[in-house]
Amino acid sequence: MSAAGRGDSAAVGSGSGSGTEAADGPPGFPLLVEAFAAANLGFLVLDTWLAHETNRFARTAEWTPVIFAAAGAAALAVNLLRAWLGRRRGARFQEGAGRPIGLAVGWGGILVGATGLVLHLTSRFFEALTLRSLVYSAPFVAPLAFTGLGFLVLLPRMVDVRSETWSRWVLFLALGGFAGNFVLSLTDHAQNGFFQPVEWIPVASAAIAVGYLTALFAAPHGPGFRRAGWWVLGLQALVGAVGFVLHALPALREAGEPLLYRVVYGPPKFAPLLFADLAVLGGLGLAALGRRAPAGGRPARAAPGASGGRAEASPGVPGSAARGEVSPG
Amino acid sequence: MRSFRAVFLTVVVAVALVVVAVLFHMRRPSVETAQPTAARVRATGKCASCHEEETSAMVAEYEKSRHAERGVTCLDCHAPAPGQDSLAHRGFTIATHLTAKNCASCHADEYRQFLRSRHAAPAFAAIHGAAPFTDEEVAFAERFHPGAVKRPPNALAALEGDTAIQSGCESCHSIGRPNADGSIGSCTDCHTRHAASVAIARGPRTCGQCHMGPDHSQIEIYEESRHGILFRAQQSSMNLSADPADLTTADMPVPTCATCHMSGLDNLDVTHDVTERLSWWLFAPVSEKRPSYERGQAAMQSLCDRCHTDAHTKAFYAKAEKVVAATNARISAASALMDSLHAEGVLTPAPFDEPIEFQYFDMWHYYGRTAKHGAFMGGADFVQWHGNYELLHTMTELRTEARELRREHAASAGR
Repeated sequence: MSAAGRGDSAAVGSGSGSGTEAADGPPGFPLLVEAFAAANLGFLVLDTWLAHETNRFARTAEWTPVIFAAAGAAALAVNLLRAWLGRRRGARFQEGAGRPIGLAVGWGGILVGATGLVLHLTSRFFEALTLRSLVYSAPFVAPLAFTGLGFLVLLPRMVDVRSETWSRWVLFLALGGFAGNFVLSLTDHAQNGFFQPVEWIPVASAAIAVGYLTALFAAPHGPGFRRAGWWVLGLQALVGAVGFVLHALPALREAGEPLLYRVVYGPPKFAPLLFADLAVLGGLGLAALGRRAPAGGRPARAAPGASGGRAEASPGVPGSAARGEVSPG
Repeated sequence: MRSFRAVFLTVVVAVALVVVAVLFHMRRPSVETAQPTAARVRATGKCASCHEEETSAMVAEYEKSRHAERGVTCLDCHAPAPGQDSLAHRGFTIATHLTAKNCASCHADEYRQFLRSRHAAPAFAAIHGAAPFTDEEVAFAERFHPGAVKRPPNALAALEGDTAIQSGCESCHSIGRPNADGSIGSCTDCHTRHAASVAIARGPRTCGQCHMGPDHSQIEIYEESRHGILFRAQQSSMNLSADPADLTTADMPVPTCATCHMSGLDNLDVTHDVTERLSWWLFAPVSEKRPSYERGQAAMQSLCDRCHTDAHTKAFYAKAEKVVAATNARISAASALMDSLHAEGVLTPAPFDEPIEFQYFDMWHYYGRTAKHGAFMGGADFVQWHGNYELLHTMTELRTEARELRREHAASAGR
């Protein structure tokens, strides 16, 4: 990883060209995205606890994501606080102690998520390999939230946060999140056999988000298409809010059982909020992208560090013009 | 126009994903999705996702069952029926105890037939008498089995105590227990729980779990009989799972207990009233004809006639009834002897406090029943060695014992 990738302020701010990018780049967005990741990890403590409580933590391994989420969220929060307190001295969250913390949390999240995916599928699906076993397995996509957040935490430590590539990666991770949401809402509502037609709404909504974000990467577009992104993300936020109400209402209405029982069992109360959550992430990526480059994926100016200012294809980011991207260390 | 390709791609990707989702949904078997409530859809898979880990045999049994084949979910049976206590169980509401009422929600005719049978209230009353039943239940059962429910608790069971009753007697006799929800009985005693199997209910060993031993040795008699021998030899080629409404001699060319007592073989009426085709009270000390003697015998004989000539059937019945008459005569003699001993004050009025009372009880309860059942079920050895020989032997002992008791009684009176 280069100096810029590590967030080395001297390297970024001098000679490498990133100084010009810094003038464009919105330094507040990476911080917000890091705070987003920390908040999400914090929320996953509750979410995974509720999810595994339905299973009464039948296996000790089920505590792993709860503990990791708590530790990761705390580490990121402390690091953010450290960066905020030292902001006058030029401290940044991804530098100094923030780098190993972020790398540990990031890689840890990827590992926890990937392992969780396999363990969730192993619970039933791999034995029967039927649609039913897939539907009624533990929600196999859910652990990928850890993987997504892991990548989100790694991102500012491996990619120049002031580059357009960073913004595109944020949007790409939001795209991955919506793809996961599509599968999650499909399989979760399949458990009900889509008994209520309204259960198709999040499936369609996630499909629209995936379609839009895919097109944003894969096809040239004008400013109007990018602005339409706010409507698409707004729709996701609305679907998330309505879904949350619909999932939570039965727990509030039904009497007889303790509230905790009603929260733990029944429809997953917080799952719909993932739509709103990803809308926020997508919004941050979209806003950051808007501040850095004009519509159509073309750079406003030459990328820092790129020879002759020529845009380079960014590996793994469809359609990105890699200005200021740093090759992985 | 600059964004046309992006808009086009957005729409194509979104629509493609929705189509994939719809196809995914449509590929699922309708037995999983075409359920009356969302909870029942979930029950097609959600229950097993935990129970495969926690009680895997239940799931394995259920998945082999006709219920699973036909989309009957866990909740179809486990949902509380009216009058049943319920329990919140990991997002589902289930009954705390399942009874015949849960089965009756789908199998109402079978339950009504069962209620008329001796498997219902009379079975439990044989231990506990009428006390556990409501007046209405007693009145209903007495219409079909006079004196079988309106009766005192079993004297022998009372002497043996609760431990013997709960772990012994009730294991079989609870087939007719009164349930808190107002229903009677338990269908799973014969059909088992999660397999809910017709084939298991038709197997002779299922009946034999209770109808065995010296007091009602039907399974031993059956296994000695030609029916039992043929069944053991040909079981693997028989279709024990055939639908009761369509059962033919091609499915079961050899009868089991259920075939003769319940099945609708070759378009005959099927029944869960196991007493419907009986003509004698064979279990009584001295057997009498049932009120439905003619009808019961005709129903059973029409079953016999699926495999035997009518002349053979009638001759068989005539021979068996002679055994009943002979056994009645022997038991009546023993009974008269016991009555005279009581009348003379040689025996106390309390039951089962003198050895001779056990000898007499064994005589009718073991050997008398065995001889009669052996005669009607083709068990020659049970008519002879386990029946009549023992009757003669015990009667001789009874007479000797009676003489001895009278002598002792006279001696003690003289003092």
